[in-house]
Amino acid sequence: MDTTLDPNNKPFVSDASVSVEIETEDMTLNIGPQHPSTHGVLRLVAKVDGEKISSVEPVLGYMHRGYEKLAEVRTYPQITTLVNRIDWVSGFANEIPFIAATEKLMEIEVPERAQHIRLILTEMARIASHFVFNGAYALEIGALTPIFLAMEDRERVLDLIESVTGGRFHPNFNRIGGIKPAAGAGPTTKKDIQDLPAGFYEETRIVMEKVLEGVERFENLVGGNEVFKVRTKNIGIITKEMAEDYGVSGPILRASGVKFDLRTKTDFLPYEKFDFEIPIGENGDCYDRWYVRLMEMKESANIILQAIDSMPSGPLQTKVPKVIKVPKGESYVRTENPKGEMGFHVISEGGLGPYRLKIRTPSFSNISILPELLEGQLLPDLIAIMGSLDFVLGDVDR
Amino acid sequence: MRNKLNQSDSQSFLDSISSKFSNIVNEFDTLKINVEASEWTETMSILKNEFELTYFSWLSAVDWENEVSVGDPPKESVNPHFEIICCLSESVEGNLVLVSTKIEKDNPSIDSLVNIYAGSNWHEREAHEMFGIDFIDHPNLTKLYLPDGYEGNPMLKSFELISREVKPWPGDVDVEGMPEDGKEEGDS
Amino acid sequence: MSFGTEILVKVGVVLAFALNGAVICTLMDVKASAWMQRRPGPLHVGLRGFIFPLAEVIKFIQKEDIVPTKVDKTIFKLAPAFILFSVFGLFVVVPISPTLVVVDLNLGVFYLLAISTLSTLGVLIAGWSSANKYSLMGGLRAAGQLIAYELPLILAVVGVVIQAETMSMVGIVEKQIEWGLPFAIAGQGIAFVIFMIAATAEMMRIPFDMPIGESELVMGFMTEYSGIRFLIFYIAEYINMFVMCAIAATIFLGGYHVPLLPVEWVNFYGPVVLLTKTLGLAFILVLVRWSFPRFREDQLQNIAWKILIPLSLLNIFVTSIMKVVF
Repeated sequence: MDTTLDPNNKPFVSDASVSVEIETEDMTLNIGPQHPSTHGVLRLVAKVDGEKISSVEPVLGYMHRGYEKLAEVRTYPQITTLVNRIDWVSGFANEIPFIAATEKLMEIEVPERAQHIRLILTEMARIASHFVFNGAYALEIGALTPIFLAMEDRERVLDLIESVTGGRFHPNFNRIGGIKPAAGAGPTTKKDIQDLPAGFYEETRIVMEKVLEGVERFENLVGGNEVFKVRTKNIGIITKEMAEDYGVSGPILRASGVKFDLRTKTDFLPYEKFDFEIPIGENGDCYDRWYVRLMEMKESANIILQAIDSMPSGPLQTKVPKVIKVPKGESYVRTENPKGEMGFHVISEGGLGPYRLKIRTPSFSNISILPELLEGQLLPDLIAIMGSLDFVLGDVDR
Repeated sequence: MRNKLNQSDSQSFLDSISSKFSNIVNEFDTLKINVEASEWTETMSILKNEFELTYFSWLSAVDWENEVSVGDPPKESVNPHFEIICCLSESVEGNLVLVSTKIEKDNPSIDSLVNIYAGSNWHEREAHEMFGIDFIDHPNLTKLYLPDGYEGNPMLKSFELISREVKPWPGDVDVEGMPEDGKEEGDS
Repeated sequence: MSFGTEILVKVGVVLAFALNGAVICTLMDVKASAWMQRRPGPLHVGLRGFIFPLAEVIKFIQKEDIVPTKVDKTIFKLAPAFILFSVFGLFVVVPISPTLVVVDLNLGVFYLLAISTLSTLGVLIAGWSSANKYSLMGGLRAAGQLIAYELPLILAVVGVVIQAETMSMVGIVEKQIEWGLPFAIAGQGIAFVIFMIAATAEMMRIPFDMPIGESELVMGFMTEYSGIRFLIFYIAEYINMFVMCAIAATIFLGGYHVPLLPVEWVNFYGPVVLLTKTLGLAFILVLVRWSFPRFREDQLQNIAWKILIPLSLLNIFVTSIMKVVF
């Protein structure tokens, strides 16, 4: 029941008998859709008993754009623009699974150089996304400074993405069979085409050094802070079983001690060429989730540094038909998005567009754990737990 | 380099799956098990307990229909039905299977998986509002995304996109050409 | 000079001192944060950021003063004034120099602590009258927090009172001049730390800002306030910060006097010395604010009841024994 503070309706004081213990009703607290820490428009209907939460019901759909339906009326190249906007914090990483699923159905081999550039940009998107998380999470815990530092570092990475793709958030850079060349670079299928902007390698090395510095700074400034530790350690523990049951993926799953990273399990991009660690957590609490993401940024920076050192030459695109028609068949391709497992199930009937496109987004499954996780927690912990799941509403609602 | 994306490449896993289930399709490196709707929950229990596919990835439906109001109809005529697809995985090797079943379009209903995989809760609610499929024994089968009072099931092929009725999508013509046609590739 | 004019002059001087102190604190807060966060705005824009407080005030005055329909209007409008008066009231007994003090009450410390509790009431009625659940929770959190931290605040001062054998603020400063050392060094170090922690909690600044808790409670008890009423809360926060630091400087750091300087000239250098000490303490609070996250409500209560209060009781105990022995 809604216990609003209506001045004409005052049942509380007069009805209460002082000698017996007063039965108090839980207060319904609407957290969101407009609230500083709901990352957009998530709404949580929480029943609170003072500071304690007795139940939480997430209400979704404030940003539902019906991409699965829209995809049915679009051609394959047009869908790339849509999928960019699912998780806008890491736009580039969203394109990969869709493009990969389509290429798989068409049985196209993508040139090695294109794959390398895709990999570099995906890892840059991961760094950018994790920087946002790091800043925003500290802000939710109550530290006001880290967000500014994070945004500054992220801006450098976004500048790099922009210099290659022309877009900061929505690159729309992938083409079926390869990637888009730099403007005015001539035919895409010729060898050693000008694709990356001049000075890109140098610039990337400098920026990645800065990223590594930034990670270290965060480790000291945020991770070394006792208040941050007491706010996040042993808070919101997700066990391995619980995480798998709900389909929780990505850094959250790894924080629960599962060493599972799709980058090493599938070869949607040539990750097997590079050395990198998969950071995992021990307890599956908020601190571990924060720490795993921080370490992932370090690994991503290392992958990028290795990738630009071993960049192969060659064309950017294979020859594909002018009008892209995908043969009949169905394919599910999942990739490691910054937020977790992102997958596209493309069912093609041989037309210009897919017959059905199922978009499996990480944030949707990740926050479906919230009702179980938040029961019995305190209100400040709700914010800490919600923040540690690092969701984007576009990714939840699609 | 071949872009093979082998998600279920473990041969022993493939063998054990094919020894247990008869109707399997393994195309485009996507392993799909077709089962009867009556065996739906039973299959899931087997996959979870015997094959250790404990990781629930997603569940959704496909509306197979010859008469479509949006997009292209299937090339070959199909028998109208709903296909329910559930994706399961495990988190050591990365083996992945899709489990598929067909149900009738009249009063579509199927057993809920919530007792086996807690994560299917929201996915089933989504399929319920988008396709109108009933999930039997689902604890809270209400709308997930759509506002209260919304009528219709938007993902059905018969559901029209109003804006498309007014102005057809120029998708057929507006296909990006290859740059070697001599024309400069525009900003697309 | 008649009694009336004397009081007027004193009140005028104290008001000017308080308001300017608040402005300096605001500037310091903003500039230090910009420096730590590498934000160009408050460092370079508009006379190197020095007209920032002015721009802020003009901005808030321009804004519409919204009073929501369902609020308890009289109390809602009254609450900011309540808080503002309670923080101004604190200045009455703070000696800027031996003569420049509005009233040197015999029970100065007692008065101080009594008045500072009043702001609790202001926060609580602001939260209650707003008819907003976030405001209500913020108000209740504030009440719980202010009550919990009032105790260590008082108990920390009690140690000083025992050592100084007086409750008058001027008396406490005179005693420190007599000892030649401020109390923070001469025996009351722990009390000083406890006082500063409790004062931070009283000011509701990070890491103790749960009543406002922007990421949790939107803006806590201030959620429904806008325009000039919000500005009053804002100013009161900084005046409170300034006066609390001034009190700490007076009680623990020797107030308007520094050792080695001639006592006869104290009326001239007194205000400057006090201002320097106050701003020095305020700067520590600023640094803490911009580098720490926020505690949780129950952790905050634990710190008060399980650490600070036992420690301050121990401090009183030890001080009393020392007093008896020596």
